[in-house]
Amino acid sequence: MFKAIGIICILIGCVGWGNRKIGQERERIRQLHTMRRILERIRAEIAYGKHTLPEICLMLTEINDIRYQKCFQRIYQAASVSGSGLPALWKAEFEAFLKDQPLQEEERELFVGLPDRLGFQEETGQAESIGRLEELLAQKAGYAEEGCENKTKMIRSVSILTGLLLTIWLL
Amino acid sequence: MCEEEVLRLFPEKIRGKWKEVAGQAEKLQEIRLRAGKPLTILVDEKERFVDPGGRIVDRQEAAARQESAELEEILKHLCQYSIYAFADEIRQGFLTVQGGHRIGLAGQALLDGENRIVNLKYIRYLNIRIAHQVKGAADPLIPLLYERGRVVSTLLISPPGGGKTTMLRDIIRQISNGTAYGRGINVSVVDERSEIAGSFLGIAQNDVGTRTDVLDGCPKVEGMMRLIRAMSPQALAVDELGGIEDMQALRMANGCGCRLLATIHGSSLEEVLRKSYMRYAAEEGLFERYIVLDRTAGARGIEGVYDREGKPCLRR
Repeated sequence: MFKAIGIICILIGCVGWGNRKIGQERERIRQLHTMRRILERIRAEIAYGKHTLPEICLMLTEINDIRYQKCFQRIYQAASVSGSGLPALWKAEFEAFLKDQPLQEEERELFVGLPDRLGFQEETGQAESIGRLEELLAQKAGYAEEGCENKTKMIRSVSILTGLLLTIWLL
Repeated sequence: MCEEEVLRLFPEKIRGKWKEVAGQAEKLQEIRLRAGKPLTILVDEKERFVDPGGRIVDRQEAAARQESAELEEILKHLCQYSIYAFADEIRQGFLTVQGGHRIGLAGQALLDGENRIVNLKYIRYLNIRIAHQVKGAADPLIPLLYERGRVVSTLLISPPGGGKTTMLRDIIRQISNGTAYGRGINVSVVDERSEIAGSFLGIAQNDVGTRTDVLDGCPKVEGMMRLIRAMSPQALAVDELGGIEDMQALRMANGCGCRLLATIHGSSLEEVLRKSYMRYAAEEGLFERYIVLDRTAGARGIEGVYDREGKPCLRR
């Protein structure tokens, strides 16, 4: 009886670990799409609305992700209300936020490094520069999506197999 | 105008140096930053300097020199790290920031094939003109701006820095809210350089009255026609007339029954009326009052008020 319960627990644990890994991968893809959509909005607001970056941050407080909303709210408050420098604020805010997200280092750096692409004197050049960043993120999201199905199958198989092996080994 | 507002003109890391200057916010008129040259400020009509420790000094030799890199950082900060958003203003040589402060720029001009300035590069000279809203500045003028309870078209004349915009802003506020001489009327403002209302995110930062509509950042000629069609104003206000097109637009507005409130650079009525584009404005009686301002004059800088024929209504 105890053995059977133990086997079930081990199997559930391993499958749970596998599901967590799959969830992380899906979350990574979701995050990449969110970041890409944010950059797309920034690019459009620059190209068509000629808004300043603090103004765009204020607009982005309405984005459909509460965690990003809060980041943009804080950046806008600090940049616009207290007048602090936007590049430093952006880096500090998103470095802290993205470090806990299931993203690869390079993906994090692409988004955090947005201020390095600022300083263009006309909106088309500025928008194009951000557009290139957006393309890179879209590419990363595309690759991640392509590999996601296979990765899911592999993780699921490995987790079940690990569970079975552990069970056999412990028996 | 408070200390905090002046400090916010500078990036956070150098604000310490400007604390004492910001403490003079009420009297501060200009901050002049020139690469490699002493930090100069204009306080209460007096030129003074800022030493490396941020203290205000009278001796030029004790003044700190402005570094080019820091100047660029200040410009980026003033543009909110969004230089593209201020490209048109930079091309024209000035930009207006939150609070209505105007930043004059100079550097190297880039010209196109037709000798028009397409951009400014190596911006090494900044003149930060601190905007002050002086409520009540127009009090002595208000009785002269009404005839039988009706606002009269008025032109404010003064040299640069003579307080035209400050006076215009207060006139707009008072006639919009209503005074003892006439009830409040709808005023439309074409705020080409965002100096009158000091709009930020479309909201006027200065008090320009309850019945005032502001078209911010729009060229005067186009803005005037647009506002007449869209907002049906009883009075139309513009800053710094500067050419025949402006006068033609004003004539058209006058023809629509709008009272006009405008400013122009000049040191006297005679000098202004000598300008070719002003001549027929005088002949047609476009303006019913001419107000000449001079900072050195008493009574809030009012040098004289003249009627449409140039006869004085008030002289200092």
